[in-house]
Amino acid sequence: MQDTVLIVGSGPAGLSAAAQVTGAGRRAVLVEKEDTLGGAPILSGYAKLVPSGEWARDAIGRMVRRVEEEEKITVHKGTRVTRLDGEAGDFTAELDNGQKVKAGAVVLATGFTHFDPVNKPEWGFGTFPDVITTTQMEQMVANGKIACPSDGRTPERVAILLCVGSRDRQIGREWCSKICCTVSTNLAMEIKELSPETEVFIYYMDIRTFGLYEDRFYWTSQEEFQTKFVKARIAEVTASGDGRLLLKGEDTLVKRPIVIPFDIVVHAVGMDPNQDNPEIARVFGVDLEKHGYLQRAEHYTNPCGTSRPGIYACGAAYGPETIDDSISQGAAAGCRAAADVQPHGRKAG
Amino acid sequence: MAIHEKSLIEPERLLHHDKLVVDGVDVSGHWNTMITPRTLTTYDEDFEARIRSIPGGENVHRCWQCGSCTNSCTMYAQNVQFNPRYWIYAVRLGLKDEIIKDKDIIWQCVSCNKCTHICPRDVRPEGVMKALAHWLEAEGYTQKSPSTIFDEAFADQVMDTGRMEDAHLIVTFFRRTGQSLFQGWLRVFGGRLMRHMPVGMGLRMGGHLLHAPRTRSWGKTRKVLKEYIQEQKEAAHG
Repeated sequence: MQDTVLIVGSGPAGLSAAAQVTGAGRRAVLVEKEDTLGGAPILSGYAKLVPSGEWARDAIGRMVRRVEEEEKITVHKGTRVTRLDGEAGDFTAELDNGQKVKAGAVVLATGFTHFDPVNKPEWGFGTFPDVITTTQMEQMVANGKIACPSDGRTPERVAILLCVGSRDRQIGREWCSKICCTVSTNLAMEIKELSPETEVFIYYMDIRTFGLYEDRFYWTSQEEFQTKFVKARIAEVTASGDGRLLLKGEDTLVKRPIVIPFDIVVHAVGMDPNQDNPEIARVFGVDLEKHGYLQRAEHYTNPCGTSRPGIYACGAAYGPETIDDSISQGAAAGCRAAADVQPHGRKAG
Repeated sequence: MAIHEKSLIEPERLLHHDKLVVDGVDVSGHWNTMITPRTLTTYDEDFEARIRSIPGGENVHRCWQCGSCTNSCTMYAQNVQFNPRYWIYAVRLGLKDEIIKDKDIIWQCVSCNKCTHICPRDVRPEGVMKALAHWLEAEGYTQKSPSTIFDEAFADQVMDTGRMEDAHLIVTFFRRTGQSLFQGWLRVFGGRLMRHMPVGMGLRMGGHLLHAPRTRSWGKTRKVLKEYIQEQKEAAHG
């Protein structure tokens, strides 16, 4: 019987799974396609995380260090799995660096891909430099200065557009990305903190700051940081004559058309299925669900399962997920996988 | 051809010129009907803070537009134009014109406070209605209410003289509200006061100094009352 779990992806879910596997006395092999560990929060340069308020580089950095310092974890960076043979309890994976890994179980922590808003050209991303994504605004916050990318001026008004790449049949995204409302209200507060003279407006269809995020993020952004919420799905973003942006749409609560000048427009981009999911499904022999995320097994008695025995999954590989829940699911998937392999050093038999 | 459906357009948005020449073309009469757009083109960011500074408006920024206030509103049941949720939204975004448009409706709030008790975010919409009415008055969009004029006359007099004289106050109030001192009801009031001048009462009071009158059969009542007081004292102090 194998004593090793193969973990694919080193975001919050994968890092959590790896630590859980070795904590249970098993070995882990962690394969990451990028050259850096940490996943989206590190690769996209997130600012302060929800809900801890800790900087991503500190919080996720701690997870990365814990994995790098663990001798029972072998890390392959800049590497992909190209083939998986065998069955539950006895898999053999081939990596594109020529190595082979024998593992008793596999955890797919392959995450998601940020929606690319050039696919909604009417909202101006890629056309106007002052139209940016939430991840770009996160980077701006992390750098400590809010300024228009076009000319460096301090914005008088910032608009955050929700549901960019979510809840939109026109582009085949029929899901709610779950985190963008909370992330946007958090971002609105961070913008106001760094640039008190900037007014922040959030354009929404619904506000879904679920659970305990309600008062902490939605209410606080309104009551302490004067964020304005406008019920309108924007029709288009155009340029005004004087170097600003014009937001056009219908304010559904006033029942009137609006054309409002802004300095920065932020797209609260949703979570797409990982763009590599078709390849992942082929290599690992697992099914995808109708939106393109990994198909979850029957959940009540087979949590973290996929359509193939011995292969588990966690976090945003299954669908839009928060960082905190991805970490919890990573630990759960790590537990399930560890139970399928024997503790390191014990004789087979 | 003229626009036939002018009835669908708010009158203030219709522009009409009897004589108009545009680029050398005479477009007088029916041909020159123009309509101003309904589009909102900016927000007034300072307006919310202004309303929040008026007593009652402090919590307007908390609103999330659930509509509980309008739903529970006594006045909305009578008049669908009376919509506190809408005015609160207009305040938040600084749509001042929307408030001014409804200046003759907002004061109709009857302060039943159903909205205050139902609001899940503690916006206190009734207070916002008051704050809006005060703002409209302060900015001169609506006339001062008689009670405001009375309060001002009262305060002015106290500030001036350190005291308050009824006659002076009522004269000031009448003057400031443009009313005649010699009003019908005042004449009737004065006449009756004269007719029932309490001359007899004065005489009786004088007489009572010499002979103190007593309520009929007071002796028995007093006895019962004294016993009861005694009983209560003992019950209270042992």
